[in-house]
Amino acid sequence: MASISLSNVHKFYPNGYAAVRDVSLDIKDGEFMILLGPSGCGKSTTLRMIAGLETISKGDLHIGGARMNDIDPADRDVAIVFQNYALYPHMTVIDNLSFGLRLRGVGRAVIDQRVANIADMLGIGELLSRKPAQLSGGQRQRVALGRALVREPKAFLLDEPLSNLDAKLRSAMRTELIKLHRTLGTTIVHVTHDQVEAMTMGERICIMKDGVIVQVGAPMEVYRNPVNTFVAGFLASPPMNLLRSRLSAQSLSLGDTVLALPPALGQAFAAHAEREVIAGMRPEDFHLKADAAASTAPVKVHAVTTEVLGPEVILVATVSGEQGAEIHIRCPRDFRAKPGEIVIFHYDVSQLQLFDPETTYALKRPVQI
Amino acid sequence: MTLAADDRRLNDLPRAEQTAVERRDRMFGWLIASPSLGLLFLVILFPVFWALYTSVHDYTLIAPNFDTFNGIDNYTKALGDPEFRHTLWLTAFFVAAVVLLEFALGFLVALMLNSVERFKAIYYAILLCPLLMNPVIVGLIWRMFLHPSLGIVNYLLSLVGIDPVNWLGSTKVALWTIVMVDIWHQVSFMIVLLLAGLSALPREPYEAARVDGASALRSFWHITVPLMLPVIAVTLLIRLIFAVKTYDLVYIMTRGGPGVATDLVSYFIYRTAFVGLNIGEASAMSAILLAVIMGLTVWLHRYMRSLT
Repeated sequence: MASISLSNVHKFYPNGYAAVRDVSLDIKDGEFMILLGPSGCGKSTTLRMIAGLETISKGDLHIGGARMNDIDPADRDVAIVFQNYALYPHMTVIDNLSFGLRLRGVGRAVIDQRVANIADMLGIGELLSRKPAQLSGGQRQRVALGRALVREPKAFLLDEPLSNLDAKLRSAMRTELIKLHRTLGTTIVHVTHDQVEAMTMGERICIMKDGVIVQVGAPMEVYRNPVNTFVAGFLASPPMNLLRSRLSAQSLSLGDTVLALPPALGQAFAAHAEREVIAGMRPEDFHLKADAAASTAPVKVHAVTTEVLGPEVILVATVSGEQGAEIHIRCPRDFRAKPGEIVIFHYDVSQLQLFDPETTYALKRPVQI
Repeated sequence: MTLAADDRRLNDLPRAEQTAVERRDRMFGWLIASPSLGLLFLVILFPVFWALYTSVHDYTLIAPNFDTFNGIDNYTKALGDPEFRHTLWLTAFFVAAVVLLEFALGFLVALMLNSVERFKAIYYAILLCPLLMNPVIVGLIWRMFLHPSLGIVNYLLSLVGIDPVNWLGSTKVALWTIVMVDIWHQVSFMIVLLLAGLSALPREPYEAARVDGASALRSFWHITVPLMLPVIAVTLLIRLIFAVKTYDLVYIMTRGGPGVATDLVSYFIYRTAFVGLNIGEASAMSAILLAVIMGLTVWLHRYMRSLT
């Protein structure tokens, strides 16, 4: 087991394109770290630099305290699981599992023992004599995982390992990976573009965009306090509603809807009064009934359509008239609204986030109420 | 796969259950395939059967008729002829040398070209030049190059103090000279096919192997070679079949000589037919050669499939 530390890491391609810029990240020993971002954000490149499959153009990489920039991938003692599994197509499952150990000159008895353990753990004991082409997607995924596990490396690097699985299997494998991490306690770096994976699996999430780190933190911390509109709009489904609005001393105007701000909140944002802001409102912070305890303010919306999901209903509606901005509201499962119908919700103002429309970064606000 | 399955299902249906549309589709299929099928029959099947028919008759260019049926006489005569047996062994040696050397050289160059990134198209164009040449022209060029006293090869060797070599006139050297010229001419074919195979290999297993701890040599041995086996099999097969048929180079460069040192079987059959005028026996030899090539093809195909 080992910590992984990236300091001011850059990746430039020969054509001058900077895939990763100035990435500094400390992954603790035994931590489950998620690298999250849209495709092309540099998360896979960062992972491949940790594995040694891409050279580091600038900056330092330390694994377990030792500088690894110029160390061969084989000698970094990390294992990687690829998105398309990258199994050796001509080898049987047992050969796929044992290849790395055989290359390292591990004894036959030890190899057999370890392979048997891993096959048992992942439930692939019956597949050992098959070739990858004879396996289903989920089985290949397990073999790829097994190939990484059997080496007992210092860290696991997972490059979107669940994205080729169907939804049901993906959810099952999420749970298994979490359990596996709990059992082994090995450092895991997991790259994904799926915010559900990020929220459910990671101890910390590192969100990247355009080759730079945007925010690092525990899932709920990132969820509650997104550092900018990109993070706000990326996490959760449906994501945070982002609405252009105007901030006054004690209120926020969304078109013709005016939300009265509690005095504490008004004071906290006093420095930004009388200017345009982007209001960030989570879909679950709209309630049908006013809550005396929470500081709620009424918001009148025009229903556009409803998405009945079963456990809940997502209402798509416009604020301040039918031509206003569209927002998503999370409603109880028995909620129904006809198109054009006017519904009054009570927004929990204490959860309001404000962003600067120019920089897109969050405006300073008081500690979570 | 699905198409084939669909086809099978369609064929399994009793005629009556096929709809008019399906029947019309099948008719149209036969209709557009018939010109090429007819041509194939005319230029391949018909000559093959004609030759087999001729091979069991006493058919010579002096008496070109099928009046005398002589059963397997032509075959026993051919197989009993020490000169024919000599040409068979010589051809086997030539084919083995040419195919193995071209494969080794071709694979090496293909591997190098596969890792080249700049000027790939230029290398390709240069490599393809010999392949585009007619074998007769290749033979003529090299016969001039290798002329014992006027050729450029011996001149260049003399510059570094090597005595002139009688490339095509010495019984010891002549066959190797033909082998060398054939390699010059045909190695690009191997390179092109193997390179196509190499560039189609998946990249991920190599990365997995790098992290697993495989050196370049071990990656080559444990990943490249096994994954390339189907391509290697096809490449070897095609080259083998073509090498057995080598005729033009020998005709242009040595006429089978000196003596019988380069008397490859195709050239020998030609001589039997059109110099010896014995078409019947030459047909029998061709049939034997056909059987040998088919046997080799089946064996190599099975062997390679057992490896993958």
